Amino acid sequence: MTENYEDNVDERIRKTVIARIDSQVPSNLKLAMGNYPSMTKDEMIEHVKKGDEIGKKIIKRHLLFLRSLASGEFTSAIASI
Amino acid sequence: MKKGIILTLPKYDLVTQYLSAFSGQIEMAAEGKSIFLKRLNEKEVNRKEFEKVVKKLDCKMIVLNGHGNEDNIAGDNDEIIVSKEENPEILRDRITYARSCEAASGLGEKFAKDQKTCFIGYDLPFEFYFDDEWVTNPIKDNTARLFLESSNLVPLSLIKGNNSSESHERAKKQMLKNIKKVLRNQTKESFAVAESLWNNYVGQRLHGNKTYKL
Repeated sequence: MTENYEDNVDERIRKTVIARIDSQVPSNLKLAMGNYPSMTKDEMIEHVKKGDEIGKKIIKRHLLFLRSLASGEFTSAIASI
Repeated sequence: MKKGIILTLPKYDLVTQYLSAFSGQIEMAAEGKSIFLKRLNEKEVNRKEFEKVVKKLDCKMIVLNGHGNEDNIAGDNDEIIVSKEENPEILRDRITYARSCEAASGLGEKFAKDQKTCFIGYDLPFEFYFDDEWVTNPIKDNTARLFLESSNLVPLSLIKGNNSSESHERAKKQMLKNIKKVLRNQTKESFAVAESLWNNYVGQRLHGNKTYKL
């Protein structure tokens, strides 16, 4: 039961991150991140789908931002400037 | 110890080509202030040469561009030039700025309680977007500029005479200004760029002496 629930949550997070990348990243941009070669938008999505090491880091980074947004940390930092 | 800078400039892939291209600002600032600067270019950025130059020139500041992870910073062709386990002492008593992924969380943290050393780096993967159209001329890439010029402010501010904490904060503040700017511009890349800048803002760490000056 718990395992299924966690699998579903993981799958929802993965889909959310893929949708965010798809809607936010223009195809002319490449992302340099971590100890990896640069990635196109499609390559980023592929890593997230596969759930490999870089895919997990991409997901972690999206969650970091969403948490900062939810907690108000992002908004208050921007408002301080 | 000499007032001077050792700057690594690997260029073996697109990421390192961008990091090195945008380091031109650091070179010009050092020249403008008549501060000695030793460049280690491409193949010279290997462990043997790096250790030799650091020991021989004994410069107070080291700026490292390159790939990395928690424990290591690489030079040319992924060769590890500084390792938490093997040669961290090479950074002792100096100010190091590592534009490299995650090295602040392992290697940098080694200097957290060392008041004679300062390490500024990232405990998350340092990241930046660049525009495929400008890969042959990175310096004209205005997307990458938002990331690399704001991170340049760490060494630029130190060169201007500010201390390590002030320099660290100036770079972070510029990242926030850039986030605000891209969100205000509302281009197709605004959100992606803003989130990546936020990652670097949150991930930038200073370990060790907060009042160190070049």
